[in-house]
Amino acid sequence: ILEDYLLVEDAPLLEEMAEEDEELDLYNEMTFGLDRDYTEEDSTKPLVPLEMSPELVEVVAEETEAREELGPGVAEELGELQEEGGMELEVEQIGSELEEEEEELGTEDQEEDQEPNDLGDPAVMRAVQSKPTLESQDSAVLDSRIGACWAEFGEEDMLAMDPLVWGSCPGSIPPHHALEDKAILQVLERPPPSTNMALDFLSSPVQRGYRGSPRLKRPNLRLMSPKSFPQHFLRQTAGYASLAPFRPTSSTIGSPPRPFTMHFGPMSPSSDSAVFFSPSASGQLNLSAPSHMTQLHPQHQRILTQRQQQGGQAQSISPKKSWSPKVDPYAGLMTSKEKDWVIKVEMIQLQSENMDDDYYYQMYYHRLEHKQAEEELLGGRNKQEPPKLVTPFIQKVEMYNSVVRIAGSLGQVAVSTCYSPRRAIDAVHHALVEEATGSHRLRALHKIEKLFLQLLEVEEMQRKMPLASEEQQPGCQEQKSQEVECIYQALKIRACSTEEEAEDEFLQLLCVQKGKKLMARLLPHLTQEQAEKILLTIAHHLPFLMKKDALDESLPLLYSPLNQVVGGMTFSKVIKVLQEMTRPLPESPELPLAMALKNQFGISLLYSLLSHGEGLLSSDTPLEPCSGDFETWTDTVFLVARELSQVPKALLVEPLFLPSNLLSLFCRYLDKQTVHHLEVKME
Amino acid sequence: MNYMPGTASLIQDIDKKHLVLLRDGRTLIGYLRSIDQFANLVLHQTVERIHVGKKYGDIPRGIFVVRGENVVLLGEIDLEKESDTPLQQVSIEEILEEQRVEQQTKQESEKLKVQALKERGLSVPRADTLDEY
Repeated sequence: ILEDYLLVEDAPLLEEMAEEDEELDLYNEMTFGLDRDYTEEDSTKPLVPLEMSPELVEVVAEETEAREELGPGVAEELGELQEEGGMELEVEQIGSELEEEEEELGTEDQEEDQEPNDLGDPAVMRAVQSKPTLESQDSAVLDSRIGACWAEFGEEDMLAMDPLVWGSCPGSIPPHHALEDKAILQVLERPPPSTNMALDFLSSPVQRGYRGSPRLKRPNLRLMSPKSFPQHFLRQTAGYASLAPFRPTSSTIGSPPRPFTMHFGPMSPSSDSAVFFSPSASGQLNLSAPSHMTQLHPQHQRILTQRQQQGGQAQSISPKKSWSPKVDPYAGLMTSKEKDWVIKVEMIQLQSENMDDDYYYQMYYHRLEHKQAEEELLGGRNKQEPPKLVTPFIQKVEMYNSVVRIAGSLGQVAVSTCYSPRRAIDAVHHALVEEATGSHRLRALHKIEKLFLQLLEVEEMQRKMPLASEEQQPGCQEQKSQEVECIYQALKIRACSTEEEAEDEFLQLLCVQKGKKLMARLLPHLTQEQAEKILLTIAHHLPFLMKKDALDESLPLLYSPLNQVVGGMTFSKVIKVLQEMTRPLPESPELPLAMALKNQFGISLLYSLLSHGEGLLSSDTPLEPCSGDFETWTDTVFLVARELSQVPKALLVEPLFLPSNLLSLFCRYLDKQTVHHLEVKME
Repeated sequence: MNYMPGTASLIQDIDKKHLVLLRDGRTLIGYLRSIDQFANLVLHQTVERIHVGKKYGDIPRGIFVVRGENVVLLGEIDLEKESDTPLQQVSIEEILEEQRVEQQTKQESEKLKVQALKERGLSVPRADTLDEY
């Protein structure tokens, strides 16, 4: 018999169905006072009590006219979509379009019913003044709710399934009803669902919900005959559950279960319907609640589902004993998409490894698993897989590239920042850091770090050089020298006046302890010329450096390498450096020399210079002095001696190293008494 | 029926009337319209209900957006049983007055207590000045 029923692919059939639907909807509206989508027609039709069938017919005619606009549109769409494969898809599209039209009709009326909230009135929870529904008028309707049947599934408002209601107007059932039902019956041809009805029931919306048009919030059942009803009316609440089928779904797409039977004539209901029309639920009602033996008139089913759709997405569902006539116009504020999203987030949260985050969830499943394991052991059954929530697998981003750089591009690539806003922020930060950061000190520190890294590379190269083969040596050397040169250039050593000292980059580096360390380690790698230049600069700015070093006291770091440098200097060079130390300062009467005596590094450096000079003089090596060198030398020695004698012993700092030939130096130029005096001092 | 066993979600509570207890002690009653992952709530047609003794008064508040962390608990209101209460509803003015009187008596007794403790050399920090955690 079932095979006789046509697949709804014929346009005329669909048209008929559409017409039928309209009639039915009208009927439903009159019966149940559905107002949302049909408010436009309200004015045209009076509310017809059920008993007045003739009027009903009249109104049906009226409605049909009113709906004519929809009709042709439907027909067109049907025609268009005929070619497309997949009946269900077609139907959906049509349905959604129809729905849109409906919504257009209905939207303007949404606000009609709400009165402005009068704050003066304490009773805020007003009844929404919808049209007086039939239910409120007809106690029979009130009594015969099958609401509780759906309660298990948290269903939306139940329709009245009062036999009286339908019994009173048998004539209203259009003749084409049968066809429609045939189409509906197609559902029953689907392969039987798996054992766990409720779960599969949920699983079907998975495919349904996500395959269909996302706009399809309220699937218009009128044309979606192949779909199963339960899918639809559970879609609202279970739509979002589609994200989490309680059972990893095995049902294929497009194969909705047959959770209940379309009671049609002699057909016997399947046991599945027990799920929906549970006798237990009926206990709540004093109605002849549909038990598993109850056969629902197919129209009743449709009404049910239509009610579902029109009731909006998220109408308040609760097992109500008495029917609340108030339709909640604010329902559905939160769309199913939004709900899906929240559930998705919640499920992602469940994925954490952290036990603290989802303790209850973890415990629940642990216990479940334990229990099943026990059962398994006891019962010896096959291993049961505990139904696990299928949480959406979110691949955690392993690496977060805060700043995306593509080789060859200029700067930061415009990575999509809508989903990773952090990138944009980080990129800006990156850019800022690379620029002058405004603070000298920060810049200096940054530079030191950079140069240090380079220096470490140089030292690495140095270390590796002996290991390299003979041919590679010069190459390595070359490379190393280049690197060193790089660093040296980066230091930006240049002549600068006293005023500019604070701004000078090189000097700033030297003010930082790490900068001094850097220099100390770098000096051995530099050429003599480069090193001497550094020494000269240091000597020139010695007072500044000493002042800045008051806190750190890290200048002595430089002593050892500088000492080495001094040891390689010519006499003229020594003189030059000494001249720096003896030149008068603009803002202070004190000579740098004098200041140096009070500073460990200063005095050590001084002694080193003197010692070397003396050493050079007393040695046989040809000095090649410049003109005036010797005079300067003598002057310097005298000056040193003078300062030494003048400086109070308390302030005189012990040098890092006291060269042995200093005294003999002094002896040559100074009288014994002075020398002795100095000797005492210097100890 | 919870489609996500082992978890709790407010999704099922959408569009239902709820009673929400806030951390500051307020009681709100409204239709839960929207939530998010932090359990921030959007309450519609909200009423703040003040309870004093056996009396209560409702202050209509309109729409509330409640930050999730401020919620102590919330529960669905059974619309049928809602009116089935031994409590007596009074006007706003009356309940506010009652509340004020209640606060006053509480303060006075508190003051006496603190005074008494002080005389005995004990000092109990006031609960409302303590850190919340």
